Amino acid sequence: MQTVKMVVTGAVNAGKTEFIRSISDIEVVSTERRATDDTRMIKHETTVAMDFGRIAIADDLVLHLFGTPGQKRFDFMWEILSEGMLGLVILVDSTRPETFRETNRIIDFFVSFRETPFVIAANKQDRPNAWAPDELRLALRQPAHVKILPCVASDRASVKNILLELLYVIQENSEEA
Amino acid sequence: MALVGNLRDFGLSDFLYLVDRGYKTGGLHLAYQHEMALLFFEQGKLLLAVRRPEDVQAALLVRLGVLTAEELNRARSGLAMSADGTTLTQVIVEEQLVPRERLQRALQAFTEEAVYGLFAWPEGEFRFEQNQRPAHDTPVIPMPISVDHLIMEGVRRIDEWGRIKDRIPSTDMVAHFLEQPREHLKGVKLSTTEWRLLARINDRDTLAELAQKTGMSDFEVCRIVYGFLTTGLVEVQRKPRPTSRGSQPAEPPKVKKSLVNRIIHRIKDM
Repeated sequence: MQTVKMVVTGAVNAGKTEFIRSISDIEVVSTERRATDDTRMIKHETTVAMDFGRIAIADDLVLHLFGTPGQKRFDFMWEILSEGMLGLVILVDSTRPETFRETNRIIDFFVSFRETPFVIAANKQDRPNAWAPDELRLALRQPAHVKILPCVASDRASVKNILLELLYVIQENSEEA
Repeated sequence: MALVGNLRDFGLSDFLYLVDRGYKTGGLHLAYQHEMALLFFEQGKLLLAVRRPEDVQAALLVRLGVLTAEELNRARSGLAMSADGTTLTQVIVEEQLVPRERLQRALQAFTEEAVYGLFAWPEGEFRFEQNQRPAHDTPVIPMPISVDHLIMEGVRRIDEWGRIKDRIPSTDMVAHFLEQPREHLKGVKLSTTEWRLLARINDRDTLAELAQKTGMSDFEVCRIVYGFLTTGLVEVQRKPRPTSRGSQPAEPPKVKKSLVNRIIHRIKDM
């Protein structure tokens, strides 16, 4: 059995858990605890360890989805999770510009040293005052070739679309059999 | 749809960059404590900035000494008789009540001062109303101004690390000139110190090394480079980590296309 891995990351409350929950074959393994730091101001339960979901591709192939902790103090987990990953989804809460800096820090961490295929998912596009993907591109200073896609993490079709767009990026960088 | 936020999280320089690069048209409303500001943009360029609600009215031109009260009345009459869509500024220029250059100079200076003052705000709620345009009788700058030099001036007023670290997390980064800096960057005015640093950028030295070579502090170098970044003159990247063999980091192994295709088909079928 071959397993491949994708990582879903983003600032606190960007929607990582919901994103994985929308697409996973299995009940998401989510080690949520009551938040004990400033994230409590944002939500009562926040991810302090990680989320794990799975999509069975075939009898001999499984895709694992890992959601990374959003807080800075879990940076060390990112290094571990990013080893051998196929690609990366970076979720942004489009309604909270106060998280854009943190998102940039995350992008910088994951993308600076590696040729990691990634897409940015502009989550919560169904909410009023959501910044549009084009506006997020400018706010996050991302070049035109980086895909910034509209997303609603609670909507399975939307999550499917994000994963497919990421797979197309991976496909471009893949080699023939 | 309005863009809302706080300058504490998304600074004025960042917002001006967004408006400029996004060729945005609209009104940016700002509020901090008892103060307010309103900036109007047309296709990314600044039409007018005011710090008092009454300054969006035509009487501003009398207060600035550009027009007499009588001339303003003539302009208003002319506006009333003009076709829909004509602005007070167009009437003033067309009827030659005041030379266009003088009107430009006065309103540009007024607007620039209004914007510079905003860079001192440590925070402030903002709301950008897309496609909001000034009223026809609001005086606007005849030739809307580029915000690039406003961004540079704003960056010069930054006196804390927080905002700079947002984009320059360490002095271990290397600045590179963009291959195609934008055409209107030639309008950006640099100080002698800024030129001194610009001339040292060589795609090799880290910001810490540039500080050492120019005798500037790390903060000063980062602040200036932040300005170059914000105006789109340079980009910064981390210096590649040296490997044990002293070469570039090895690229991760490539995935097989057939594997990716299998996953694509499965996801499509879900």
